[in-house]
Amino acid sequence: MRRELGMAVAVVVICAFLFYSNHHFLGVPNMIDVLRDIGMLGILAIGSSLVIITGGIDLSVGAIVCLTGVLIAKISSPSTGGLHYPLWIGISVAMGVALLIGLFQGFLVTRVGLQPFIVTLGGLMWIRGIAKVIIHGRTISFGGSGFSSLANHGVLYLGHHEAILSFPFLAFIAAVLLGIYVLHMTVFGRYLFAIGGNRDAAYYSGLPVRRVELSAYVISAATAGIAGIFYASFIQNAGPNVGHGYELYAIAAAVIGGVSLRGGEGTIVGVIIGTSMMEVINNGITMFHWHYRSATGHRHTFHLGTHWQDFITGAVILLAVIFDQISHMLARRKRLKSQAAKTS
Amino acid sequence: METDTTPIIPPLILSMRGITKRYPGVVALADVSLDLHHGQVLAVMGENGAGKSTLMKILSGAAAPDQGVIALDGKPTVLHSITYARKRGIALVHQELMLAGNLDIAGNIFLGAEPRRWGFIDRRTMHRESRELLDRVGLQISTRRTAKLLTAGQMQLVEIARVLSHDARIVILDEPTSSLSHSESEQLFRIIEQLKSRGISVIYISHRMEEVQRLADSVMVLRDGRNVGSMDRASATREKIVSMMVGRELNNWFPPPRRFSSDKVIFQSQDIRVVGTKKPVSFDVMEGEILGFAGLVGAGRTELVETIFGITPPISGHARLGESQFCPATPRDAIRRGIYLTPEDRKRNGLVLGMSVAKNISLPDVGSYRPRWLLRRRFEEKVATRQIERLNIKTPSARQIVGMLSGGTQQKVVLGKWLAMRPKLLLLDEPTRGVDVGAKAEIYRQIRELADAGITIILVSSEMEEILGMSDRVVIMRDRAIVGIFPRDKVTQEIIATKMIGE
Repeated sequence: MRRELGMAVAVVVICAFLFYSNHHFLGVPNMIDVLRDIGMLGILAIGSSLVIITGGIDLSVGAIVCLTGVLIAKISSPSTGGLHYPLWIGISVAMGVALLIGLFQGFLVTRVGLQPFIVTLGGLMWIRGIAKVIIHGRTISFGGSGFSSLANHGVLYLGHHEAILSFPFLAFIAAVLLGIYVLHMTVFGRYLFAIGGNRDAAYYSGLPVRRVELSAYVISAATAGIAGIFYASFIQNAGPNVGHGYELYAIAAAVIGGVSLRGGEGTIVGVIIGTSMMEVINNGITMFHWHYRSATGHRHTFHLGTHWQDFITGAVILLAVIFDQISHMLARRKRLKSQAAKTS
Repeated sequence: METDTTPIIPPLILSMRGITKRYPGVVALADVSLDLHHGQVLAVMGENGAGKSTLMKILSGAAAPDQGVIALDGKPTVLHSITYARKRGIALVHQELMLAGNLDIAGNIFLGAEPRRWGFIDRRTMHRESRELLDRVGLQISTRRTAKLLTAGQMQLVEIARVLSHDARIVILDEPTSSLSHSESEQLFRIIEQLKSRGISVIYISHRMEEVQRLADSVMVLRDGRNVGSMDRASATREKIVSMMVGRELNNWFPPPRRFSSDKVIFQSQDIRVVGTKKPVSFDVMEGEILGFAGLVGAGRTELVETIFGITPPISGHARLGESQFCPATPRDAIRRGIYLTPEDRKRNGLVLGMSVAKNISLPDVGSYRPRWLLRRRFEEKVATRQIERLNIKTPSARQIVGMLSGGTQQKVVLGKWLAMRPKLLLLDEPTRGVDVGAKAEIYRQIRELADAGITIILVSSEMEEILGMSDRVVIMRDRAIVGIFPRDKVTQEIIATKMIGE
């Protein structure tokens, strides 16, 4: 929990700093955007973290985001290249495919005994590959369909023309509640931790190790499918590069929030905080302003361009794990010292 | 030359004084001293957990003492790393052999110290020098043989060759014969004699009295992290050492012998063939019986109990549990029928070290708690607390992380996890390995109480005393086959020893 607390404080500090540099950061329009972004990445990150907690990894979620969008566009879009079927058919097929992919990858990992990294690395490529084939490498727009309202509408308008709580964010809240329940309040969640903590001991204790692991991959693919629907709705088209690298953002959000890549460690609260950190930084890079006067007395404003994003995100990930490691080492030294004091 | 009747004591090469080492919750070593003379063999003896390994870790630079002085050739030294200790001529041959399985013998011998030429590994020199080293240890195989193809004995010899390549002056052998065959052990003893004659000093850790009496110039005994005695070879008798090691009568460890008789067979193995064996095994266990399985390491006992537990299903044969057939495909099947295993390697197979005591105890059973849709942490902790009290598990609370506890305490947690359920047949594989003396006695008492309560127990143990002190009947295994089954009152140490070693 220490890691989560530390990161939560860091997020608050960064928010305060951004607000100080640019008051629009906490303005309603920007907050709506940030919350929606947190929602969409957060849904992905919760699924990914379940897999990571079992000691596995899922690199295919970005590709699944792409494929779900493409399938919905192909089946339901009224514009060129679309097949004009009702939206619910497109969404159902896309979700069905996502679940099947999760089942297939989980099968390869648990029954065939392949390494999760390899299986999902393959997935990362072939799943996006299928998406590209379906749309011939082009982009399909959702044009005049009502699909875009899914990401851009919501509840609580309060006089603004955009909803304060967008559907993606509401879905994220639902995913959080469900995630907390599943991970921390059910036997299934306990099994996820036990398997990640020591797979052999879990097996020797009679746990249905393979079934639980398989479920984690299915859940991860399902959350990727849901996120894919929202992303497609949000950008209002489906192209071959949608969701590119999102699997890594999801993993980064989980890790920043204290989910251990060794498995057996992590909380949903941590994933929320990690996701917030990722998206606040992402947004902060465009929001950050610094006003200063040059020697001649002219007013200037310093901006960070979006090209800073990768650098800053990477640095934050590293700083998070470095601080965590240092605090671990300090805690251990302190413990040893107090033990020594007690025993002597 | 004058003739001297008093034995010449060679100069001290190493002396350790007042060594103290604490780990969280335990004092591993308290004020331990050790003297090693030039060209002599010092045997270090002691029960599991007496502090031998910690002392050797400190000597080999792998751990730093909290207090105490180490002097090499009379000069105080700080052995701050393994590399430095090695540079000073101290080399440890590990009990678990640590060869890189994918490299060949020469590559292993020179691992980390490869001879170089123009920046490349000089393979010719490496193989030539390896050949000489192998000849010195009497190993007549190619230096190009891949390490994973070697037998345990050959690996041990390669390890020693590696040590020799470092120009070691002090060689530490940690239970070197535990996985060696008889002839391999003989070879090792010859090499130790050679080392001595070349002025190399040896610290020899072993449980085996015969070896100690044969090799050692002096013997020191540790108990609970303290020196309890040192003596030279002449005065080191078996009785004296054993009484020092355990510090009490052996019998007091074990519950008083009981008279057991039952003719209700609860488990029956009918020609079960374990994967990797040729001969099928058959035996019966009576309800409430303690059936001891004796044998050397590698005799196939662990494989047998793991087969019964469903880890690796048998090739052929079948088992009966009570009135019905029993053929588990997974541990889950076995557990459903009330057959539980406490595995030999508890850290690897028995516990989730990063989880709390309560979560470990509940792990196999938590799926059957009611209601199914909600984890009941309070109830879980209550179940754990009951086992903590029953087994006298020394933990600050049920929420303590298991990895922080001592070996004996961890073993009790493994036991507690099964006792919280309804065991019918308990398979205990080396239940007291790495367990301190006090916890050992408690585990024995628990085992007996369980048996008295009608729970059947299969006890696999490599400790003769344990087999004799606990079993109602003894099964002896050798080369993955049963070579004898005896009632307790018809079996002696000698019978077991000869049967398990072979004629």
